[in-house]
Amino acid sequence: MNQINPLHIGALLVVVIAFLFFTLSGMKTEMVEESELYEKSEKLAVELSSLKAVYANKKKTKRAIDRILSQSSLKSASLEVKHEKSSVRISSKGMDTKALNSLMGKVLNGSYNITELKIKKLSETKASLRMEIKW
Amino acid sequence: MNFKRATTALFLDPSSIEEFSHDKSKKINIILSPSLYWVKKMSLPVKSVREVKKLLPSIFEDSLPEGHYSYTAYKNGEEFMLFAYEDKKILSLLTQKGISSADIASVHFAQSEFKELSSAFCINEKQCMYIKDELLVLAPSAWISEKEKLNLDDIKLSKHTIKLQQFGHIVDNSSLYKIGAILTLLAFILIVEIFITSSKKDAIIEAKEELFSKYKLQSTMFQNKSSLSKYSKVHERGVKFRESISYFLTLKLKSNQKIKLIEYKNNLLNVTIDGVDKASLNAINNQLNAKGVKYKSSLKGETMRVEMKI
Repeated sequence: MNQINPLHIGALLVVVIAFLFFTLSGMKTEMVEESELYEKSEKLAVELSSLKAVYANKKKTKRAIDRILSQSSLKSASLEVKHEKSSVRISSKGMDTKALNSLMGKVLNGSYNITELKIKKLSETKASLRMEIKW
Repeated sequence: MNFKRATTALFLDPSSIEEFSHDKSKKINIILSPSLYWVKKMSLPVKSVREVKKLLPSIFEDSLPEGHYSYTAYKNGEEFMLFAYEDKKILSLLTQKGISSADIASVHFAQSEFKELSSAFCINEKQCMYIKDELLVLAPSAWISEKEKLNLDDIKLSKHTIKLQQFGHIVDNSSLYKIGAILTLLAFILIVEIFITSSKKDAIIEAKEELFSKYKLQSTMFQNKSSLSKYSKVHERGVKFRESISYFLTLKLKSNQKIKLIEYKNNLLNVTIDGVDKASLNAINNQLNAKGVKYKSSLKGETMRVEMKI
């Protein structure tokens, strides 16, 4: 006729509940941390992806520069265009200032990584240009 | 092999001074003396014993002294035999007699075991018991002339037994079940919550992995942070370069003053302006200062040179 003390059963249940509560609390903390990490990762991913799309997209940058250079206003500028593995060099020993204004207006208004630029005034209507754009 | 222990019977009476010694290999069938319980014989307008048990506390309410009672009942013909007893009192008496709970085979009321007594039996030095109106009652030995000594050797016990609640005085059964049910429910809710939280966490981890493949990120956050830092610097430098160029292109220069050279290399922007005298040097410097930019300027002859770190 042995019986278990109900207080022992109650204590066991309380211990089990305390264990479950701490487990849940730990899991919630982990979930919040994971959630924060996800938000940070998402923010980083969006920023990195948009920056890469602008500055690390070789095809897109090359296509855009080719489009600028093919404009009629620049055809008479006798520009030298030299494509390298990770950059393009554009130079002219003497070009019309109007053509230079047109070219620089488009390059400076676009999102290009200009690493080198030299514009030297040769006369009232002529200037020399040397420019490097990287990706 | 027989694992069932043999049994022996004991009439448990608080006033008995007889020493009880028992064979430890045998379990004991306890028969409670009428002085250890309260009994009523009643005819009630209910059919089952289960329904009767619910009514027992109120039936005994006015007739019991203060205490913590357990109740039981069984059917006796058309009537019910109703009992009230104190577990703690009986258990204390058993402990005094050196009987542990493990040694008890069953507990019976004397009422159910001696209902067909033909004469009076003495249960201790001062008291005898006998049947009166189907109820087993106690009477002083002095009142009864013909009495016998109680002999339990050949007794055949009935099926009317009770289970003593060792901890009934701590908390009653219904409260115990309620507390147990609440705690179990709470545990269940916590387990469900753990499962939900775990699946939410897994979903976040999965979404994070999808994020990496969707945006073609590198395998570690360190590498990605490094790439972000690199491209952010390129972007910031590009914005600053364009801003700086715009400062010079929007300078208010005199008609004889011309920008002769713009040169940018290794994050340094050099601008050369021709036709600048000492007076107009300050005017140009003031214009650049008003833009809030850091620069170095020098004048050589009529050529002004401005150097700006991007």
